[in-house]
Amino acid sequence: MTGVGADRSSGSTGSTGEGERADRPSRIADILASVGAPVFYVLSTVGDVFKTFGLAVYYTFRGKKRWDEVINQCYQIGNRSLVFITVVMAFLGMILIFQSGLQVKRITGDFSQMGAVYLPLLIRQFSPIIGALMIATRVGTGIAAEIGSMVVTEQVDALRMNATQPVKYLIVPRFIAGIFMTLVLVVYSTLVSFLAGMLTAHVYFEVPYDTFWDISLVRWADLLIGVTKTLCFGMAIPVVSGQAGLAAFGGSEGVGWATTAAVVNSSLAVIMLDFVVGGVGFMVFPTN
Amino acid sequence: MIVFDDIHKRFGPKLVLEGVSLTVAKGRILFIIGQSGVGKSVLVKHLVGLLRPDSGRVFLDGVDITDYSEKQFYPVRKRCAMVFQNSTLFDSMTLLDNVALPIRKHKRLRDKVARREALGKLALVGMENEALRYPADFGDGMRKKVAIARALTLDPEYVIFDEPTTGLDPISANIVDRMIRDLSDRLGVTSIVVSHDLKSIFSVADRIAMLYKGQIRLDGTPEAFRRSEDPVVQQFISGSPEGPMEV
Repeated sequence: MTGVGADRSSGSTGSTGEGERADRPSRIADILASVGAPVFYVLSTVGDVFKTFGLAVYYTFRGKKRWDEVINQCYQIGNRSLVFITVVMAFLGMILIFQSGLQVKRITGDFSQMGAVYLPLLIRQFSPIIGALMIATRVGTGIAAEIGSMVVTEQVDALRMNATQPVKYLIVPRFIAGIFMTLVLVVYSTLVSFLAGMLTAHVYFEVPYDTFWDISLVRWADLLIGVTKTLCFGMAIPVVSGQAGLAAFGGSEGVGWATTAAVVNSSLAVIMLDFVVGGVGFMVFPTN
Repeated sequence: MIVFDDIHKRFGPKLVLEGVSLTVAKGRILFIIGQSGVGKSVLVKHLVGLLRPDSGRVFLDGVDITDYSEKQFYPVRKRCAMVFQNSTLFDSMTLLDNVALPIRKHKRLRDKVARREALGKLALVGMENEALRYPADFGDGMRKKVAIARALTLDPEYVIFDEPTTGLDPISANIVDRMIRDLSDRLGVTSIVVSHDLKSIFSVADRIAMLYKGQIRLDGTPEAFRRSEDPVVQQFISGSPEGPMEV
């Protein structure tokens, strides 16, 4: 029966059919490979990031720290981001208050709650995420480029040859500095954005400064969620960017890929963490 | 003795090593030669765990070290030092601190003691008077000397040199060649030298292994290489662009 079936099949389709059948498994394999390769890449990258995070936390609490390098990294992170954050957050504050002020003017004309509503929004949402995205862009690239260059010039291999754990030596100082400086920069960015908004409200809508400066709607929950998000972002950016640097390969092209991966992956991590922490925050501290 | 047994290594779609088997006898100088990008450095990095094989085994003095963890490799790296192609000195450290680093990390000695030992190693390569200067102040030859001093700090039994004379002027290259020879003759250190510098190869090597298309093409004495009638070997020695070797 099998033989007959095989004969019929070959008789009806001819040599082209046989070729097609022979090609089919390789085509399926190609399709599976083209779907599987990116999935495998994402899963392995996520796995590597979590492994690096685990090692960073472990070495943060164990062994001697390079405190001089932590201070240097604090300076680097702050110095690299300060002007960028000041300009972006000031413009963001002006745009948000100007646009919302136009709507308020059209609907109620009552500007008395403008500052009171704006501040919790800044603390809980805008400052942490916008600030962190800017730090991811500005600082993440620097971390990935620096570590990536060390990888492609074999300096990381030299560290390993000298019984030095690369995560402990390179990422832990940036991890500690990242947590501290992200918090400092986000608090600073909140202040800049709020003051820029206050100035805009005063100039365009004649809102008195003391009316805008109203913290009555800020709850402890807003502060807690804002700080939690900021700490999570501060941990994620150096780990994700550092891991991108450690995964660099080849020459300068590899360093380029590492910096791109650092920005993309850090930004994704910030957005996802914002969603998770924000969601948990809403469940634990409902707004109503 | 070092044994690489049927080592396979792939990077993405590129199969770099296709079943390399090689034995390195104690106290001898083995040169691994071949075209750029053929996998010479890849092969030697398997010995110290900087790379792991996809398949195959690595033995060090009869012990299978293939599946060692990163921490288990620390004592292996103490016995097998490596001088990297770009010297890989840390720019933020003085020459003395660069050389003291492995002593502090592997032997866990105090800074003062580690520095004293490091100064002694710098004296071996004639750099003791420059100990407090930074790597950026020196050219490739001097940096390579310091890298060799750093590799010797732990009195290793095996030293891997990755293209030690590439980019050096002829005098510096000769000095490095002589140091490799002296290490073997005076201290009995086993050296594995990755190189395509013909002058070094024929003046220093006890044995030569040629890597071609992921496999060992020829493994023998320098004399055996000179006499080889293999057209691939002959093309490599003559440096001719015409021949069977794909460029």
